[in-house]
Amino acid sequence: MGTYIARRLALMPLLLLGVVTLVFVVSRTAAADPIASLVPERLLGNEEVVAAARARWGLDKSAPEQYAVYIKNLVQGDMGTSFRTKQPVGHDLAERLPATIELTVAALAIAAIVGIPAGIAAAIGRDSLVDHVVRLFSLIGSSLPVFWTGLILLYVFFVQLEVAPSPGRIDLRALPPDHITGLYTVDALLGGDFRQAGDALHHLMLPAFVLGWAVMGIIARMVRASMLDVLNQDYIRTARAKGLTGRQVVLTHALRNALIPTVTILGLSLAALLTGAVLTETIFSWPGLGSYAVESTRTLDLPAVMGVAILGGSMFVVANLVIDITYGLIDPRIRVS
Amino acid sequence: MVTRRFGYLILALFATLALALVACGDDGDGGDGDGGGTATEAAAGNKIADDQKPLVIARAMDTLNGDPHRAFCDTCQIYISAVYQTLVALDHDDNSTLIPRIATEWSASDDLKNWTFKLNPDAVFSDGTALTSADVKWSLERLANLKGSPSFFMDGVDSIDTTDEHTIVVHMAAADASFPAKMNAPYTAIINKALAEANGATGGDDAETTDAAEQWFLSASAGSGPYMMESFQEGDSLRLVRNENYWGPTPKAAIETVIIQEVADAVGQRQLLEEGAADIAMQIDPDTARGISNAGVVIQSVPSLNFVYVGFVVGTEGAVGSDIDLNQDVRQAIQAAIDYNGMIEVLLGGDGRKQATAIPNGFLGTANLPLPERDLEKARKLLASGGYPDGFEMDAPYWSTNVYGVDFNLMMQKVQADLTEINVRLNLQPLEASVIFADLSDNKVPFTAIYYAPDHPDTVQYPQYFAMIEGSRWSGRAGGNQGPIVSATQQDLYEKALLTDDLDERERLYDELGREMISDAYILPLANPNLILAYRSDLQGMHYSGCCNLELAELYRTTD
Amino acid sequence: MTASDSMADAQSLDVIATGGVQAILRRPKWATLPVLLGGSVLLFWIITALTVQWWAPHDPIAIVDTRLLGPSLDHPLGTDALGRDVLSRTLHGATASMPVAAGVIVSALLIGGTIGAVAGFFGGWTDAVLMRFTDMMMAFPPILLAMVIAATLGVGIRNAAIAMTLVWWPGYARLLRGQFLAVKNYDHVIAAESLGAGRTRLMLRHILPIAFTPLLVLSTMDFGGVVLLAASLSFIGLGAVPPYPEWGSMISEGSRRFYDWWIAMGPGIAILTVVLAANFIGDGVRDLLDPRTKS
Repeated sequence: MGTYIARRLALMPLLLLGVVTLVFVVSRTAAADPIASLVPERLLGNEEVVAAARARWGLDKSAPEQYAVYIKNLVQGDMGTSFRTKQPVGHDLAERLPATIELTVAALAIAAIVGIPAGIAAAIGRDSLVDHVVRLFSLIGSSLPVFWTGLILLYVFFVQLEVAPSPGRIDLRALPPDHITGLYTVDALLGGDFRQAGDALHHLMLPAFVLGWAVMGIIARMVRASMLDVLNQDYIRTARAKGLTGRQVVLTHALRNALIPTVTILGLSLAALLTGAVLTETIFSWPGLGSYAVESTRTLDLPAVMGVAILGGSMFVVANLVIDITYGLIDPRIRVS
Repeated sequence: MVTRRFGYLILALFATLALALVACGDDGDGGDGDGGGTATEAAAGNKIADDQKPLVIARAMDTLNGDPHRAFCDTCQIYISAVYQTLVALDHDDNSTLIPRIATEWSASDDLKNWTFKLNPDAVFSDGTALTSADVKWSLERLANLKGSPSFFMDGVDSIDTTDEHTIVVHMAAADASFPAKMNAPYTAIINKALAEANGATGGDDAETTDAAEQWFLSASAGSGPYMMESFQEGDSLRLVRNENYWGPTPKAAIETVIIQEVADAVGQRQLLEEGAADIAMQIDPDTARGISNAGVVIQSVPSLNFVYVGFVVGTEGAVGSDIDLNQDVRQAIQAAIDYNGMIEVLLGGDGRKQATAIPNGFLGTANLPLPERDLEKARKLLASGGYPDGFEMDAPYWSTNVYGVDFNLMMQKVQADLTEINVRLNLQPLEASVIFADLSDNKVPFTAIYYAPDHPDTVQYPQYFAMIEGSRWSGRAGGNQGPIVSATQQDLYEKALLTDDLDERERLYDELGREMISDAYILPLANPNLILAYRSDLQGMHYSGCCNLELAELYRTTD
Repeated sequence: MTASDSMADAQSLDVIATGGVQAILRRPKWATLPVLLGGSVLLFWIITALTVQWWAPHDPIAIVDTRLLGPSLDHPLGTDALGRDVLSRTLHGATASMPVAAGVIVSALLIGGTIGAVAGFFGGWTDAVLMRFTDMMMAFPPILLAMVIAATLGVGIRNAAIAMTLVWWPGYARLLRGQFLAVKNYDHVIAAESLGAGRTRLMLRHILPIAFTPLLVLSTMDFGGVVLLAASLSFIGLGAVPPYPEWGSMISEGSRRFYDWWIAMGPGIAILTVVLAANFIGDGVRDLLDPRTKS
């Protein structure tokens, strides 16, 4: 097992290098010249100014040269400067990441709190009303476009019922809590300001719910399948035959085993969460990585796109590694391949 | 049975979640719909002199650049005009007369080439240090040397002298009657030289490559204006705090803290405004405005000096339509085919006006220009005489943006629909700003849509940008790979107007120039949208500012 | 006993066990309610995509009435900001979404399937290189990669489709590779090989038919996912070009006119029904092949 993990970890930097190269190649085939975001529009006709800007931003070098420069800077921790915000990409990412983490964790929590019990209930009461209801809801949840759900819920809760708070992470007039982690809820609690923490939580709820809803269904179905698997096992039947009641069976044996792949399940939801986060953040004006990614790709802000790709890719790779390791722990056959 | 119990558990969970969302009740101010009815006049109560409650402005912020000598966006204008000061100010009542600010008086030599400005000795920066002619000279030179977006304001300036601590003289290469007006633009801001230099700013001839303060300007300000930058979080908010060392000439700001909050769309802005969570909503479009009927909100539709237009580029390659000869007949055909009345109706719900040429209504010279009308007969005839009786196909890449209440996607779809009636088929391509401007400068765009807002109160800026004269932006752009288009007639009219101080004569010249531009038909203004001012009824001092979008220091709240 | 054997048994059991009326109403095991429902909805949309230009109430691009009218008899889904009929636009949206989704999946199957088959069949270095490349592509959050590709290629449905295909094929490659690795060691394959069958024949005639099944399940279930991704890209502004009535961009327009809720309602429900239908069918197909998980 150890060698498996070690090998996967050793492969990670290579994988990331591949990701960087891939994005680099893809983005360099762009039809549009990024020079227009670097040189003021009025001066695009001025040869001197354009040449100077190209030199300053390293765009006058050939593509392979640019690549080499980028990699060299990357290993030193420098991801370049964003064409759009004119700030270091690392700084931009560090600023935006906590918001997305807060949103994703909250969404995952909501999805797990609802999804896991739902999956269990569906598995236990196979074919019953509960089972059908859960399966239907989970199917609908993952069939709805996240951005549409967000809009509908915004309309209902924000416009009509007027119970949802303003867009953004905290009340418009309030100052954000002192920066410790960047997660407003946590920082407010650490600072002892419960009212502020409550405010941050209040702002978090609707976006997290919208994002979590898509994943809820996935989790419920996976838990259900896992439970069904376990419930069909011989040792469960043996336990039943021995006379243990249904509930005892569930609580003592099945549950424990069925939840082993929980980490796996949660990890697999990550893909759905990241996708959903991009769209959810756009609708709720949530200043996280997702909306940053949209802005950056739309304006062809190449350094920012590379930065987001690296960050997103790393998170993805790590998550997949964790999943594979967990699978490896459960099923030794997989480690070999 | 286990199943049923679990089932109820699930239902309970769902119910709790729903209840939680609903019960986590009102936020802060809550609704403010007492009395309902239509929007009323702003309450005229007592002014709150030291207003501690932050003012919240909801708008879709452009990417902010905090350096006044580099910035060139609407949000930037609001920020810069609150935090920095320029030599002259604008009289709001007519939005065209210049009044003193840092400069107490100014005069020109007889040949209109040397302008002397006397500076107010009371002027100080936000850190208390005195504002002297050295700061002014350094700032204006930096503006030119950085070669940034607003650098063109310093075009034509040869050198600047500081004859004493409170006097500067600007030497121009050619006569320019409009120079003082340019000194009203927020981008000609006077920066605290010592503070800026200490943080990486440079102003010399090599400033373009040596200046390193762009990032610093996003975290602090170095001005003499009524506000100072407190903090900025990209994509989120910009916080300004009152400058307690403000010297004048206007009174100190009443409101202590101003927050410009990123709210992407009109709907969100409207909701915040109605709830009272925001005091001003800046991008409410006419449709949304019509839906607001809240006693706490004031909606005003005022004429503005902004306009949206479509333009032609005759020398392109690689695009569909590059091989079409976009001669004057063809351009005039398209000019006659657009449904201008419908455009105002569809885009603005009637809240706007038609505009004759690329000089906005209200500027000198526009009073008698003929407004465009749709004439399909004429359009078809012109198209035929232009060589395309059966019409043609053309790419139309454009900036997919939403500005002044106009959704460009909608606008172009309307143009597309209008032109199908004369069989001109447009291929619409909505693009991001950097992409469209790159393509434009690469001469790949035969037809596009953009918008324009005035930089200062003098008419001259419009021919300098739009007319077919030497050095004008559109002269180069419209020519494309065929080189700049210069009309001797327009050039002559423009030069004469620069040389004369006689207002009547200038008006006559600009009127003629305007007519030339109409018949040229390179630029077709589609609409002059009204500005929707949407704000809480306890707010006073809101008005349309010709230069700066919104003047924060003039705002104050009243008690009922 | 293989999966298909037990299926056949079960089916015949069904027939024997239920006589009389049941026998007359006899329907195949797979035709459960969700599957039938999903199938008919999907069929509706496919037919719509093919024929709508002849029976939609209005021209989707023409301005037919006053703008921003709420739902009425004339316009069951109201009119949009320019005055176009939302219902007609929604129906026409299928002409983009359905073919694009089908195209993306087929292309992804072809590309991914080929790569996976080759990797799994030949093993060794080929496998290592191809799979590392696939891993690299999969190391990306899909929507991010799709956004980057679509942004660099430019706007338009065609470019969005290319972007989505490039994002989708790695999953199929991995799956088919695993299948090939397993099936190539089956008895009948080894037998054929020893009888002198060429590589291509082995791959196509002997391995592929068996290995392909999970891919079929996956691709059916993916149909909905592609429709969603396409709509998401259009929503951000990277897909269809106006005035084309694509569902994602319609929702985007509708999101700016919140209070005129009907503009986004039509396309949203359309997407929901298509994706739900595809998921039902996918579920049904999966249940058919993996009886443990169905009811």
